[in-house]
Amino acid sequence: MLSLVHTNASLDARGKACPMPIVLVAKALRNAKRGDSLTVQADDRAFPEDIKAWCKKTGHELVSLDSKPGYHEAVIKKP
Amino acid sequence: MSAAAQLSSPSLEARLSALEGEVKSLAMAAAQQATRPDSGADLVKGAGQQDKLSLIVFSGSLDRLIAAFVLATGAAAMGMQVSMFFTFWGTAALRRENVRVKKNLLERMFGWMLPKGVKKLPLSQMNMAGGGPAMIRYVMKKNGVASVEEMIELSKELGVELNVCTMSMDLLGMKPEELIDYPNKTYCGVAKFLETAAPGKITMFL
Repeated sequence: MLSLVHTNASLDARGKACPMPIVLVAKALRNAKRGDSLTVQADDRAFPEDIKAWCKKTGHELVSLDSKPGYHEAVIKKP
Repeated sequence: MSAAAQLSSPSLEARLSALEGEVKSLAMAAAQQATRPDSGADLVKGAGQQDKLSLIVFSGSLDRLIAAFVLATGAAAMGMQVSMFFTFWGTAALRRENVRVKKNLLERMFGWMLPKGVKKLPLSQMNMAGGGPAMIRYVMKKNGVASVEEMIELSKELGVELNVCTMSMDLLGMKPEELIDYPNKTYCGVAKFLETAAPGKITMFL
C-alpha cells in the first residue's frame, strides 16, 4: 500500500553562499520519498533564482518561496 | 479517346497507385530523418544531448579553482554528470602537501617552484606574494563560501569524476603519488576528454 504519511524535513542553509544552499537541498532530498517535502531557509541573495532553477531542472515542485526578514524560505516537494 | 477514359484504364490506375505509395514512403523516410537526433551535420552520435558538464581545469590558481569547484558541485547538485579534466598548471594544483618522491634534477626544480598543496595556491590576480590568497580565504569564510578543500570533499561525495592529464604531469615532473586522494581518479589524455565531453551539453575551459 502506498504510504500516505510524508515527512516534512527542514534545512537551515543560512550563512552559506553559492553553491552550498542547492548542494545541501540536493543532498537532503536525495533519499526522500515521493511526496516528501523540505522547508529550506537561506540568506544567499542568489537563492530565489537558484532554487527556482534547481526545481525546474530536477523536476521538483516549488510549493512556496517567501521572503522573510533577513532570509528566504522555500518549500520543495519531491514529485 | 477522352481524358476520363484514359484515366480509367486499368494500367494507368495501377501506375498511379504505385506512385502514390512511393510518395508516401518517401515522405515517411524524410520525417524519420528529421526527428532523429543524430541527423544532419552532427559528427558524433547524440552530440550535445547528454546532461553532462565537462570542465578543463588548465589554471592552477586558487580563484579559478574556486570557480571550477563551484560549477562542479553545483552541476552535480542539479543532477548532472560532471567530469573534471586537470591539465597543465591544474595538475600541479592537485598536489598534496609534504610528499617526497624520487625525481631528476629538472623535475626537482619544477617541484620546488610549483605550489606545494591546495592550501598554497596563488591567485591569478592580486597575489601580492601570498597575501592575496590569505585575504580571499578570509573573506570567503566570512561570507559563508565553502573552501576549495571542502568543495573537493563534496565533489567526491557527489560523484564528480576527476581526470588528470598524464602528459602535463610528465612535463611538470609530477608523480601520481603526489596527487590528492580521490576515488576513481583517472590518468588519461586528450582522447578520453573528447570522448567524455562530445555527447555532453556543456564544456568549459578554466
